Amino acid sequence: MTDIAKIDLTKVKPYGDTMNDGMMQLSFTLPIPYSDEASEAAKVLARKMGLDEPAVVCSKDLGIGYTYFIMYGKCQHTVDFTTIKVNKIEVEIMDKYEVEKYIKENIQRDVVIVGACTGTDAHTVGIDAIMNMKGFHGHYGLERYKGIEAFNMGSQVPNEVLVAKAIEMNADAILVSQVVTQKDVHIPNMTQLVELLEAEGVRDKMVIVCGGPRISHELAQELGYDAGFGSDTYAEDVGTFIVTEMVKRKLV
Amino acid sequence: MGLLNQLKNQFKTLSIVGMAKNAGKTTALNYLIEEAMDEGLRLGITSTGRDGELIDLVTGTDKPKIFIEIDTLVSIPVKLYEMADAGLEILRMTEYSTPLGRILICRAAESGYVQIAGPLNVRDHKKLCQEMMGLGADMILIDGAVDRKSVAAPGVSDGVIIATGAVISRSLKKVVEETLHVVSLYGLPGIDDSAVYKAILENQYKDQIMLIKKDHQFQFLDLKTGLNASKFIDELIDEDVAFVYIPGALTLSVVADIHPGKFKHLKFIVKDPTKIFIEANPWQQMAKKGFCVQVMEQITVAAITVNPYAPAGYSFEHEALLGAMRVAIKEIPIIDVKFGGDFDEACQHKSEK
Repeated sequence: MTDIAKIDLTKVKPYGDTMNDGMMQLSFTLPIPYSDEASEAAKVLARKMGLDEPAVVCSKDLGIGYTYFIMYGKCQHTVDFTTIKVNKIEVEIMDKYEVEKYIKENIQRDVVIVGACTGTDAHTVGIDAIMNMKGFHGHYGLERYKGIEAFNMGSQVPNEVLVAKAIEMNADAILVSQVVTQKDVHIPNMTQLVELLEAEGVRDKMVIVCGGPRISHELAQELGYDAGFGSDTYAEDVGTFIVTEMVKRKLV
Repeated sequence: MGLLNQLKNQFKTLSIVGMAKNAGKTTALNYLIEEAMDEGLRLGITSTGRDGELIDLVTGTDKPKIFIEIDTLVSIPVKLYEMADAGLEILRMTEYSTPLGRILICRAAESGYVQIAGPLNVRDHKKLCQEMMGLGADMILIDGAVDRKSVAAPGVSDGVIIATGAVISRSLKKVVEETLHVVSLYGLPGIDDSAVYKAILENQYKDQIMLIKKDHQFQFLDLKTGLNASKFIDELIDEDVAFVYIPGALTLSVVADIHPGKFKHLKFIVKDPTKIFIEANPWQQMAKKGFCVQVMEQITVAAITVNPYAPAGYSFEHEALLGAMRVAIKEIPIIDVKFGGDFDEACQHKSEK
């Protein structure tokens, strides 16, 4: 405990085996043949990254003229932990059974959720993990929830088709998944969905949620979504948000 | 003479919409804020997304900060309020919730930098603007997020400033074309038949697609949305139908399967130009076949701002972009806010036409 008390949270450094030694481990590949020169190049690179005393502790020939490195080095930089703020979703996450109970008590009808992986994106891992029956990592998907009617439209769904389906099903919520986002193609794709919902006059009647590895709650604000979920999110996180938001906005 | 000075008598609520992300909306906003300071105009500022953050969330590039003078009104969610550098006095806690907390309406008690964000949907935005007016703002500026244009709808703002720039394309021609497309959509003609206008107005609340015949008989379609329904709509259009009123979005999937032969005797009517989601190319192709759209309400473009720089690193000659834009669009003042546009000069090309 004495060690912990000594930490200056305004100047946090990586911990190797003593406090504030700044020791870090990193691994990467360089497209140059395995040689002494390659190791030296790796050290030069690490020094440029702000690491003191860089050391190559392992290097392996990957064939085809590439070399893989594991390096140690002492980080020169510090981070002021007291100034760090992350915007998170401000609801207490309920588990599957609590969500079901919440729906039964507060909404008293089935909640309809339509989801899709939209635009050019064909990677359904995200939307499947959240919506499909079996879920992911031991967390059941929304399809399995009593009181939730989940409809997963799959991949490469045009925004217009998603909006048409949501209107036809009188959806309470729309889930949009964006996994592969080369050249930031997800941004105009996601704003177009919001704009279509506005034009159709249903934006304020639905909870609109986005998710994906490059999505955050802050980005959701910028794009006009009610919430944004990044990695390490499960069906209960999304489910909790949707049902509590519906009650908050009186969409019951 | 300043841009704002010209606009303030004509518009009470101005929205700034971008052709794309990083087109220069915030720069345009800052330009107007600076002018308002000189004029002693009390601004109310809100945003459909988020404004004034230092680093772009997506591209990681620097973004312009927003500096406000004493007495300016801003909308700001709770979590950004805690981060504001300006001394803000909370006037009202609104009911609009966002991912960053509930929206507050604040008055700057001290000048300084702020981040601004507003409600998520257009309906709430409209109410927020009215609240800010009630709290004493002389003029409201709504900064649009990314490429969202729905705040340009006539019910929300009475004029729009379009921010465009190099970010749209490496081709100067394409930048001009895309901008011209939006400007021409916003300038689409109103309905030329006053009886039809009245009939639609009276039945608008039903939110249904309406077919209006030559003898002004009308028929409601039993459709929840026009999206993906063009085949169904096509079947019901016979030669007696003169107008099709679309209450929601007008996209390709609404009209794609309507036989082009019918375009000649048909006019499509939308509520306002923000409902149109058809890009320049297909729009022009259909226009050649006689596709004609009229609007219930038009949008007034107050000004266009150009930004010759793109965050990807390339740029156009400042004069080249401004010049090309002024040749293509004659009726609207166009300025380069980065170079500090002279408004008189911006207006000059209007009188030269």
